[in-house]
Order: sequence, then C-alpha cells, then structure tokens
Amino acid sequence: MNRRVIGVAALAAAALVLSGCGGASSSSSSNSPIVVGSINTRSGPATFPEASQAAAAVFDAFNQAGGLNGRKIDYKTFDDKGDPATASASARELVGSDNAVALAGSASLLECQVNQKYYEQQKILSIPGIGVDPGCFNSPNISPANLGPYNDMALTLFYGSEKLNLDKICVLLEIAGSTRPAYQGAIDTWSKATGKKPFYIDDTVQVGASDFTPYIVKAKNAGCKSVAINAIEPDAVAQVKAANAQGWNDVTWLYLTSVYSDNFAKAVSNAGSGIYVPAEFYPFTDASNQINKEWRDLMTKNNIPLTSFSQGGFLSAKYLIQALQGIKGDVTRESVTKALHELQPIQNPMVGTPYTFGTASTHANNTAAWPIKLASGTNAWQSSGSDWIKLPQ
Amino acid sequence: MLQGALAGLAAGGLYAALAVCLTLMSRLVRVVNFSQAATGMFGAFVAVWLVTAAGLPIWLGSVLGILLAGALSAAIGWIAATWLSEASTTARSAMTVGPLLLLISLSFILFGNKPQPFSPILGGPAFEFGGVVVSQVTVVMVLLAVVVAVAVQLILTKTAVGTQLRALSERPTTAELLGIPSKPLSIAVWAATGVISAIAIVIVAPSQSNDATSLAMLIVPASAAALLGGFTRPGLAVVGGLALGVLSGLVAQIEEVALIRNFLPFLFIVVLLLWTQRKEVWDSAR
Repeated sequence: MNRRVIGVAALAAAALVLSGCGGASSSSSSNSPIVVGSINTRSGPATFPEASQAAAAVFDAFNQAGGLNGRKIDYKTFDDKGDPATASASARELVGSDNAVALAGSASLLECQVNQKYYEQQKILSIPGIGVDPGCFNSPNISPANLGPYNDMALTLFYGSEKLNLDKICVLLEIAGSTRPAYQGAIDTWSKATGKKPFYIDDTVQVGASDFTPYIVKAKNAGCKSVAINAIEPDAVAQVKAANAQGWNDVTWLYLTSVYSDNFAKAVSNAGSGIYVPAEFYPFTDASNQINKEWRDLMTKNNIPLTSFSQGGFLSAKYLIQALQGIKGDVTRESVTKALHELQPIQNPMVGTPYTFGTASTHANNTAAWPIKLASGTNAWQSSGSDWIKLPQ
Repeated sequence: MLQGALAGLAAGGLYAALAVCLTLMSRLVRVVNFSQAATGMFGAFVAVWLVTAAGLPIWLGSVLGILLAGALSAAIGWIAATWLSEASTTARSAMTVGPLLLLISLSFILFGNKPQPFSPILGGPAFEFGGVVVSQVTVVMVLLAVVVAVAVQLILTKTAVGTQLRALSERPTTAELLGIPSKPLSIAVWAATGVISAIAIVIVAPSQSNDATSLAMLIVPASAAALLGGFTRPGLAVVGGLALGVLSGLVAQIEEVALIRNFLPFLFIVVLLLWTQRKEVWDSAR
C-alpha cells in the first residue's frame, strides 16, 4: 500500500517536472524577457560602477513603460573584479548560458581586450557605456558610447596647445596593462595635427602611488609649464596636492574626463593656473541646462551618482533600445546584431558626434569633447567654451 | 638630485613613524602588527566623516579620529593579550592580518572606495633650501618620527614603566610572578602605537593618495624600514624609513631606473634579508 502511494507520487512529480520543462521551452520566444548583459569592474584597484547602474535605470524605465511590445528587458550585470579570468568567465556565462542578445553599459578595466575575440566568434555586439582599455576601440564587435581615454588624451593636448596656447607641455602617463602604445598613438595624433611635440614624456608614474611628489618635482625642475596626465581621480587629487606642497602654483593641468566629478572639485582648492578637462559628454555640473535633463532626472530618481560614467551608461542603453525598436520580427542575437550594423547615426545633444555602429573593423566614432575647467579657489567645474572641440582630421 | 631626495622625505618620515611603532610592538608585545597602518587609516577616515558629515571643527574631528584609532588598536591588543598570550610571535602576527582586511572592507562599506576629501591641517612649502622646496608636511613628519623614536628610547631606559615593559618582553613569566600587570601594560602599548600611527596618517593623508587600500598598505614600506633595525632598534627604524623615502624620491628622477620605484620596498627587504643572513651556512639545522 505504502509502496504504491510512493510510486504514484513519484510518477506525478515526474510528470510535473516534465510538463514544467515543456511549458518553459514553448513560451521562450514570444513572452520571455530579452537578455542584455554587461561586464563591469565594480571591485578592485579602479572601479566603474555607475555606467551599468545608469543602463539598468534606463532599462527599468523602459520595462515600466511596457517594454518592447510587451517583452521586458532582463539586464544582467557581472563584476569582473579587474581580473581577466573572471571577465572571461562572465562573458561565457552571459553569452553561452544566459543567451544574451547584446551587451550594453559595460565599463571595465580590461573586459574588451579579454573578450573581443569571443564576441567575434559568437557574433554578439557590445556597446560599452565607458570604453576604457584599448580593446574597446579596435574590435569590429565593440563600439563604445564614449570618447575613450586615448582620444581624450589627444584632445586635452590639442586644447592645451591650440586654445590655451601652452608650450612646454609634459606628458605624465600612468600605464595599466598594455595601454602604452594606445597613449603613444594619441600623442602622435596630436603631434600630427599641430606639429608640436611633448616637452617630455614620463611613463613611469605609478598607478595608485602613495606619494607623487618625486614625479611632480621632476616635472617642475625640468621646466614644464603644463602637465597632461591620464590619472584617475584619487591619483589626480594626490598629484595636485603634491604640487601645492612644492609651491608650484603656475602650472596648468591637462587631465582627462576621469577626474571630472564634484568630489574632485571639492577636494582641490589650489588648482595652480587651472585644471582643464575635455568632458566626454555635455557637462553635467551645469544643473540648469535642458540637454542633460532626462538623464539627470533618471539618475536623481534612482540615486545614481552624476558622473560622466553614468552619462555613458545611460546613452549606451538608449542606443540599444533604439536599435531594438527598429527590429521587425523576432528579437534574437542575429536580429539585434543586424539592427546595430544597419543602425542610422543617432544624434544626441549630450555628445558632439552622432553614434553609429556599422560594420567597420574598428569603432571610435565619438571624437568630440566639451572643454571645462576648474579654477583655483572655486571648488566647482565651469564650462570653458561654447562648443564641442574636435581633433582636426 | 637634492630636490629629488628631499621630495621623498615626507613619505620617508611617514614610513619612519610607522616603522618605530612596528619596532615597539615587535619588541614589547611580540607581534608584527600588519594592521598598524589600517587602524590609523580607519581613524583618519572617521575624522573626515566627523568633519564633513557631522560638522565638527577639523581639530576636534581629527582628535576624535586619532583616539578611535587608539581604541581600535587597543581592542586588537586585548584579543592578543586574552587569547594569544602564550602563542608564538608568528601566530600573534598572523592574527593581525584579520583586522587589516576587516578594516579595509569596513571602510569600503562605510565610506565608499573613493578617496576622502581630507581638509589639510598642514599644506604648502615650509622653506626653500638652496633653491629646493621643503614642504611643511615634510618638516613635521621627519620631526614626528625622530621625536617618537627618542621618546621611546627615553621611556624604555629611564622610567619605571619602561623597566617593567622591558622585563615583560624579556622574561614574561618572571615579570608576572613579580606582580607586573602584563595585560594592561601590553594593551597600553597597542593603544599608544595606534595613536601615533593615526597622527602620522592624519598629517600626511591630505597630500597623497588617500583611499583605504593605499593607506593600509603603507605597512609594506614601514616593515621594510623596521627591518633595518631588526624590529628591535627604533633609531635604525627611523634611519630605514627616511632612507627608503629618499631613495624612492631619487630613483624617480633617473629615467633608467624609475620603474624600480614601484617595488623599491620589496628590493629593500630582500637586500636586507640577504645581508643579515650572509653568515648563515647550510648545516644540519636546515
């Protein structure tokens, strides 16, 4: 008797499991969510958490408004911890087992370099919110929403030498991984456009050094009038403070978008002859303008920091949604890839150049930046021009 | 050259002050305290929070932060004195890795992983010496390191407490049988070194990289400096700290060797270990 009951129960359970499986597979294409992924460095030596947070906020708002003809976007984000093995494993989980149709809003120290070949094999495309490593700018499958540190370096040098008429510009480089040739490329681009050369290049500056005084003293003694540095925020604060301590008050700083934040402005009171940055997106510190309004409202509502990184994440999600909306028929990896390849240039006033993906072998279509500056004693960023600056081609 | 050497002196003073604390700990309470810089870092971060979020004046916030660092250090000391009093130096030192990681993680959770907006207590150049700028931070740090080393030497050799401390470190059982209160004394040593390293970090943090990891990892160059004095002689620890700072300042100026600056403390440690072990031979004991 007992045995028979157990037998019946087991049969019933098996039937339930089987029917459950069958049900799931039959409804996968019409109503199941569209999986979009991103791989980010959220922990480790340098972190970029805001881009994927911003993209997630855009997708949430899109889902709440009804999604894509009723289909929701399931946005999966991974932390690569700044570690190549984790970045590689995350990509395989996202593409291989979660069956993502595309990536958007990624911001990682090394993800593009690690995964670009895999994306090519799997025929999946990625729109990083913030492309950081050189791999984000030399793959047919990756087209970032942002300008990137290399074009940004070329632009900050260009702005310094042509608009501010600075001479004796010294270039101090913090080299992480294999980024040295990409920065050299940026310096060469600037030299070709202007016929000028750096006064000297010091590529030994340590990432995250505890004290930058020796490098600053070296630059001061060599007679540099201005320094162009690719440092991220914590290092940049330390470098400016080291120059303050040395009484070097007539130096002009040319930094990259990575230092553009309220936090940095509050931390720096003595900015020498000024800190100039080519902002990758329309300056967000001007709260009154309408250009950033949609982004600002969404970020404020979701408690996401107002930074260039969250601007990039926001834009990349917007671009992907626009591509998705153009798809006729089923949304699969193939149809999304095709839609992105055929995407018409998207104009957005938050960036100076229209966004495209296309089928080129490399992508760096964002080539404009908005000049901003931080003057001594103001503790606030200001616009330093009335239009986008672009490198002459 | 001179400018380069002086440029590293502020960092050297910081290494030296921390190295003296490490030496003191190793000599008196038998521990290499890996959380030495981390407790100071945490106190400094709390000080910043007290000033920026709670609106306290800078001096009061700093004092409270420094006291908190002392209390944290004392708490770790209490653990060591209560449960690990009979343990080997290795075990006691290994225990301090726990608070090191805990404090780094805790400060990430509480204060985020961005650098903190420290308001400098000191800033700007102090004086020029032959066309070379010496910053105020440099002067204060070097003075702090020297004063601490001298004070430690005086307390240990000239006072009753010093005698008791030395007795405790050299003949612990005899000292306890004589009625010397071992637990309160060793916790006091932990608290004092916690306070000293917090003072050093609060002074230096505004003018350098001040995220949790880079501050807590100051323990590496500090250990290198303490090794010069064999973790027993505070005077040599000061010399080691200043030498390491000056050396890293110099190395950054010379194109050909600038890259080794990144691992200079490790080179320093290797060279010192090889030098101290030079007379060892491979015998039956190995």
